[in-house]
Amino acid sequence: MPSLDCPEKETLEEAGLDEPWNVVVHNDPVNLMSYVALIFRRVFGFSQEKADAHMLEVHHKGRSIVWTGTREKAELYVQQLHAHLLLATLEPAPQQ
Amino acid sequence: MKLHAADDGALLLEEVPPFLFRLLGEIAVRAASDHPRVEARFFPDPASDDELIEDWKSLVQPELQVLFQSARETVQADLRGASEHKKGVSMRIPKTHGDAWMSALNQARLAIAEESGFREKDMAAEVAPDPDDPRAMALFQLGFYGFLQECLVRMQDKTS
Repeated sequence: MPSLDCPEKETLEEAGLDEPWNVVVHNDPVNLMSYVALIFRRVFGFSQEKADAHMLEVHHKGRSIVWTGTREKAELYVQQLHAHLLLATLEPAPQQ
Repeated sequence: MKLHAADDGALLLEEVPPFLFRLLGEIAVRAASDHPRVEARFFPDPASDDELIEDWKSLVQPELQVLFQSARETVQADLRGASEHKKGVSMRIPKTHGDAWMSALNQARLAIAEESGFREKDMAAEVAPDPDDPRAMALFQLGFYGFLQECLVRMQDKTS
């Protein structure tokens, strides 16, 4: 039996849409720590404690992975973070 | 200068000295800098993927430009509503304008820091305003905007 192409799957795989992506926030000496934590709470719905923990990780380690999931949603989150002038990027999450 | 919250959630600024009010009037100007480093900071690449960067520049960047411009216009409109008194200038930042002010202040701070090449250690220093020293003036302006932004963040914290 001839095999059938599965273009939808191929397209998804090519674009990496089925693999998890990380949203990373990078350190920035100008943005206020309290402002960064506020934006984390608003964009991701984090609790005050979780927002502060990520903010401090950014401050001390230079970056923090704040969210992992589909590429489409990761792009949306990065756009929201850029709208608040936070330095954010998306990157493929390392495969386990 | 006195700052306090009104019953309706607005931030009231009273007895603002003319010098500080002039700095408030510069928020939109500083934020609208066309310095290449400022542009790079306002519109950073979202990833290392060239295709995504191209799409971002054509689709996302124009939206962000409109958003940033809108925040600056809100600030300018509020400043036009200020009134002068014997003890200084009074004005109010309505609760619904808090986000626009935080954005415009953030834009101005980032633009000043990029234009002046400030690093973390520069910003940690306490600086008095000195009209004859542009770098000291820029640092003072950065600190003053940061103070006001911090007040707005705390007000958001209290009401959220």
